[in-house]
Amino acid sequence: MGMFKDAETFEKVIVGFFNLVGNTPIIADKLLQSKMVIRFNYTDPDLVVVVDCAGDKAEVRPHDKTTTAVVEMSMSSDIAHRFWFGMVNLTKALTRKEMVAKGPIPKVLKLLPAIKPAYAMYPKYLDENGFRNYNITKAYTPPPSA
Amino acid sequence: MTMGGYAGQILYVNLSSGEIKKKPLDREFARKYIGGLGFGTRIYLDLIKENPAFDALSASNPFVLMTGPLTGMKLNGVARWTVCSKSPLTGFWGDSNVGGFFGAYLKFAGYDGIVIAGKAQTPSYLFINDETVEIRNAESYWGQDVYTVTDALKENLKPETKRAGQVLAIGPAGENLVRFASLINNKGHAAGRTGMGAVWGSKLLKAIFVSGTGQPEVAQPEKLEELKAELKVIYAESIGISAIHATGTATHMDVGIIGGDIPIKNWQLTDWDEINEIGPGMIEEKIFAGHKTCYGCGVACKKNAEVKDGPFKMEKGPGPEYETIATFGCMCLNSSIESIAKANEICNRNGMDTITCGSTIAFAIECFENGLITEKDTDGIRLTWGNSEAIVKMTEKIARREGFGAVLAQGSLKAAEHIGGNAADFLTTVKGLEAPMHDPRSAHGYGLAYAISPRGACHEASLTFEAEGGTIFIPEIPELSSDLPEGSEGRAELNVAAQDYGMFFSNCAVFCNLGGMPLNATQAINLVNYVTGFDYTLEEVLAAGRRLWYLKRGLTNLFGARAKDDRLPRRLMTVLEEGPTEGSVPDMDRMLAEFYELRDFDSDGVPTKKVLDQVGLPDLAALLHQS
Repeated sequence: MGMFKDAETFEKVIVGFFNLVGNTPIIADKLLQSKMVIRFNYTDPDLVVVVDCAGDKAEVRPHDKTTTAVVEMSMSSDIAHRFWFGMVNLTKALTRKEMVAKGPIPKVLKLLPAIKPAYAMYPKYLDENGFRNYNITKAYTPPPSA
Repeated sequence: MTMGGYAGQILYVNLSSGEIKKKPLDREFARKYIGGLGFGTRIYLDLIKENPAFDALSASNPFVLMTGPLTGMKLNGVARWTVCSKSPLTGFWGDSNVGGFFGAYLKFAGYDGIVIAGKAQTPSYLFINDETVEIRNAESYWGQDVYTVTDALKENLKPETKRAGQVLAIGPAGENLVRFASLINNKGHAAGRTGMGAVWGSKLLKAIFVSGTGQPEVAQPEKLEELKAELKVIYAESIGISAIHATGTATHMDVGIIGGDIPIKNWQLTDWDEINEIGPGMIEEKIFAGHKTCYGCGVACKKNAEVKDGPFKMEKGPGPEYETIATFGCMCLNSSIESIAKANEICNRNGMDTITCGSTIAFAIECFENGLITEKDTDGIRLTWGNSEAIVKMTEKIARREGFGAVLAQGSLKAAEHIGGNAADFLTTVKGLEAPMHDPRSAHGYGLAYAISPRGACHEASLTFEAEGGTIFIPEIPELSSDLPEGSEGRAELNVAAQDYGMFFSNCAVFCNLGGMPLNATQAINLVNYVTGFDYTLEEVLAAGRRLWYLKRGLTNLFGARAKDDRLPRRLMTVLEEGPTEGSVPDMDRMLAEFYELRDFDSDGVPTKKVLDQVGLPDLAALLHQS
């Protein structure tokens, strides 16, 4: 079992964070310039989230399985969680297929500099939004198992 | 069965006597040593073992260039070939691995490699046109930069050859004996590290021109075609290949910064506000001028650059790769991508290693900042962080060994001795070779890899960087596919496996570590088997790799390296207080102790007689254990 005991909790964490990132101009401006539409397919627990930067503002849509995405990213919720702490070796994760990306990969890689400030935001976001237990940069106590 | 892949003969050239010999490639020798540095290192040891004490810039230092069995095949990631000699920069073992076209063309001419001994009396070049091999006068080319001599030789020799030729040349840096001078093929493919260009300069060898009309055979063409079809799908799905095709090795500027892999300000930082100014996005916007590739490779990870105007104007030509962008860029806090492209062009034209050159300038900037040198020492140049014009000017002065450039032309270790004070605190060298742009504080295995690399701090002396960094995944070898915990645990085992397999993969078979990254061991070995007709197993290639690794280690021991030289410089062992590598330094004592035991070294860092005998190197054992 992964770090998140259920999809509902993971959805609250990740969708809340994506919305925060989408409302942070230093990041959002560059994402919107890219016009990228990315679908994240998470497993363990399962969740689908679309981040749509094609319009005037970044839209985050959980459970959207119908929008045509430019890029599809698949990974476990644990990998996704660790990624936003800057703890995932992206190269290794892609080589070992712990992250699977489909679509124009160079366009995705170009977004890495844009999202870099988000790594510092994630632990703070967790602390400030009731998800302190998930902040693995601190002495981590796993949530009680279901 | 046919021995495919190989051209079947090795060229021996003595520049002192003018003697040229062609010796057939022995089948058993080929099977045992595979090719590339497997051949080169064995031949080198045989040449010097009677009298191994000599200066790297003397006529007694042989130079060996060898291709691999796959060089010259139209396959992804196999255009590479190798050179080796004693390093004028470090005084220890030196070798370099390079792509481009020269190796393939040498095969077409009918040679697997060239062994060069002695020293010419006047500037010379070697002319190879199939069976015709001549030492020719190069006085009219001496002093020309690499681009000029490459164009001139190709043009002037065209009437004498049936097919267009390739040129491997040194520039003024090699002629001037800059200790980190390189050899350059096709203007941008550099045998960069350890100063092989200075070896040529000391021999008054300006260039080798080669043209050939042959083609190496494939022993099992049907099986090879089947495997190529399988690999076509794998390459199409590879994200790593897709990334380096799009933006080259500069891709790592965006990826490496996340985990703290990129050294900044002479290894004092892992983040910098201006990093994106020198990343792939800015390269595409400001200097990108098209894709380039090596012979037969569809990956095309090389990029051309052009700066149309301004102080760093440069014509369209080979652009800077990741290591160059980092050394001349963030290492010097230089955010001008145009100036980095210009510095790269200066290094290519003059034939200089960009890693050592950029790192040595970053070192000098820190010396300047700390008052160890002033404008009086630097010929009026203000060597300050981010001063892109000063960085470019100093690069030119180094190539010419002019003024303070002559001090830096010795490399940073010798420059530190010259400058004195606490200059050595700013060094990033192991065994005198400046570390590449991958921080061991982000991946501890790199630290051990740098420390025990026979040629000095190097990320390509084994496959440790690729395995721990994540670009390769070799499921057949547990150490190269396991998921190690953060820290130093298991890194000794990782290094041993990455050396043994790496010596086969990128030193003997001479696969490209970039273009060959999607290959697992089975595929890599099958490629070699189908081309050569041999029936190598994983065990056999690992044994060959292990033997080569001990050969290289033994040679560097023979040139004086001992346990005290297997250390990381203080700068790389300094704990950073913030950023992705905060608080992390490799546990070198632990890793070295484990590694020495695994490799059966004595406490002085020399492989025991027993292990050298075991791997089939009794002559090396006798040399190292004479007492």
